[in-house]
Amino acid sequence: MKPLSPSPIKIMLVDDHPMVRDGLSACLSFYDDIDIVGACNDGTEVLNTTKQCLPDVILMDISMPNQNGLEATEIIKEAFPDTKILIFSMHESAEFVKNAVHSGASGYILKDTDSEEVYQAIKTVAQGRPYFGSNIAQMLLTNSNTPSNERLTAREQMVLSQIATGQSSKAIAQTLNISVRTVEAHRRNIKSKLNIDNLAELVRYAIEQGLVKAS
Amino acid sequence: MPFSFRIQLFAVIQVILTALFTYIFVTNEYRDLSEQNVATLESFLIEQKQQELKNYTEIAKASIQHIYASAAQDDENAQELVANILSTLIYNGHDGYFFVYDELGTNIVLPTEPYRVGQNYWDLLNDKGEPTIQILIENAKNGGDYYRYPWNQPSTETVTEKLSYSDFLPKWGWMMGTGVYLDNVQQQLNSVQSAIDEHTDNTRFIILFVAMSSIFVIFAIGTILHFTQKKETDKQIDQLGQKIITLQEDEQRHISRELHDGIVQVLVSIKYSLEATGKFLARENINKPQPLTQAQTNLSNAITEIRRISHHLHPRILDELGLSDAMEALGKEFSERTNIAVTITKPSLSKLLPDHINITLYRVVQESLMNIEKHAQATMTNIDLAIIDDWLTLTIQDNGIGMPEINHDEPSLHTGIGTRNLAERVKYHRGQFKITSSRKGTSVIAKIPRSAFAHHYTQQQEPIVSETV
Repeated sequence: MKPLSPSPIKIMLVDDHPMVRDGLSACLSFYDDIDIVGACNDGTEVLNTTKQCLPDVILMDISMPNQNGLEATEIIKEAFPDTKILIFSMHESAEFVKNAVHSGASGYILKDTDSEEVYQAIKTVAQGRPYFGSNIAQMLLTNSNTPSNERLTAREQMVLSQIATGQSSKAIAQTLNISVRTVEAHRRNIKSKLNIDNLAELVRYAIEQGLVKAS
Repeated sequence: MPFSFRIQLFAVIQVILTALFTYIFVTNEYRDLSEQNVATLESFLIEQKQQELKNYTEIAKASIQHIYASAAQDDENAQELVANILSTLIYNGHDGYFFVYDELGTNIVLPTEPYRVGQNYWDLLNDKGEPTIQILIENAKNGGDYYRYPWNQPSTETVTEKLSYSDFLPKWGWMMGTGVYLDNVQQQLNSVQSAIDEHTDNTRFIILFVAMSSIFVIFAIGTILHFTQKKETDKQIDQLGQKIITLQEDEQRHISRELHDGIVQVLVSIKYSLEATGKFLARENINKPQPLTQAQTNLSNAITEIRRISHHLHPRILDELGLSDAMEALGKEFSERTNIAVTITKPSLSKLLPDHINITLYRVVQESLMNIEKHAQATMTNIDLAIIDDWLTLTIQDNGIGMPEINHDEPSLHTGIGTRNLAERVKYHRGQFKITSSRKGTSVIAKIPRSAFAHHYTQQQEPIVSETV
């Protein structure tokens, strides 16, 4: 038995398979310092559920209908920067891990990880440190030196597409249900990543890349 | 092809039969007609001749009438006078003359051969074996009639058919006759016959010509039809092939998804249930039974195996992260397996492409890497994905030995089904596909026009954006 923490870590499970959630819940219920406060089965529900139960750590699946876990992660991090997200996925490629990190996830473990390691991961992430499953850490090491140009995250790409269709920051903020400040932050990130510093260039880029259609 | 050929053959046989029938029919008709015509003409001409002969005879009779009428039965002077007059009545050159025999067949007048006068020809047989003189005398005695027989023609010294009319001078018992040779009748008939024959030949030629040109036209039309049909069929086959590929990819994606999102998830939940069971037993201070450990190991293997199958059917990374990342994962896996260095350049944006273009380009990379591994003996590979001048351009380049069977800019017809199939698939998205190869390496280039995907991202985002509102 592990020593008790002052207050249990509140976790939320996001997975479109109730059976997986139930199985994992059953395992985690053996740990006293973990409290499962919520669950949902769709990326689009995550934000609302998070608002209700304010978890410390979210265990997030990637492949889900409507919105995948990486996009959901970005959205959560926009609204709740302090909430830690631990990706809990079947996908093993380094690309998924990289994308998860870009989206703001603190850790990445595979779905067939032993519950003991899941527990460790939750604890580590909750303490503000990153956690990657042993096999994943290995994979990241072998791939760490791949040079890659700056890529936009899913959220940034979405913002860019809306900028390119002529939306103001305010309108975008309304559409995406985030603050104008967040939109501005995205805007800055996009510009710096793409090395573009004016709006016209940004629009031209979006059209040239086929992100939006020239009207 | 065999079907249209059968139709052609059928048409040709039909034409040949029709032509043959027409030919035989027309030939028969013409023959009947010409026989009729010739017969009519002949009888007409003969009638004319007969009339002519009768007229001559009348004239001759008139010219001797003044002597004969008043002469006695045995007036030899009168007889000689008459014989002289008749000898001088010559018409139609030398061929028209009068001859006279007495009742017993003794010649009295024969201007062409005067030495025969006084000789008896009662028993003379002509070439038909008939006693000419007897018949002529018989005709004369019966009141005058015509007789056709072969006879020597003085002008040509040949035996020709002759038509003679003989009349009787009863007072002296003389048979008086004159005749025409029918050679010119025969000539006329022959020329008519040959005119008809010529006409018949013309008609035959026309039939033959029509039949041949019909056959030619049938073949020409058949061939044109065959080619247009083949073109159409080829197009349909291409479309069908494309449809099969699309269906296959869809099906694979579906099965992959079912395995990955369905069965694997169930197995994962079972795995955690087993773990929970283990923890429960541990809490109760019961040792974990061996079969439980075994079940957990087997379950892990099953999960790994199904994931492998699912990934093989359809890489989920393509749906979740888009082509760039899927390509990168593929490249890394390839690099680890083959020790060929892979560098990848990818655009800053992702998930711009619709599923079917995604999978097509993914298969291009997959197939190209496979070819490099098998044949190229390369040490380095570049995979480059970028939007260049309205084209999404995928380039896979290696530094291997190249493909010996491909020269510069040659289309990929000789590189096996795989590559050819890729070319078809890329073209299906209005794209271009090109392989160039030299001894310094091979490069595969697949291009998709931006217009094929430009609207995809925004369309895809719309439902999600509105849901978040």
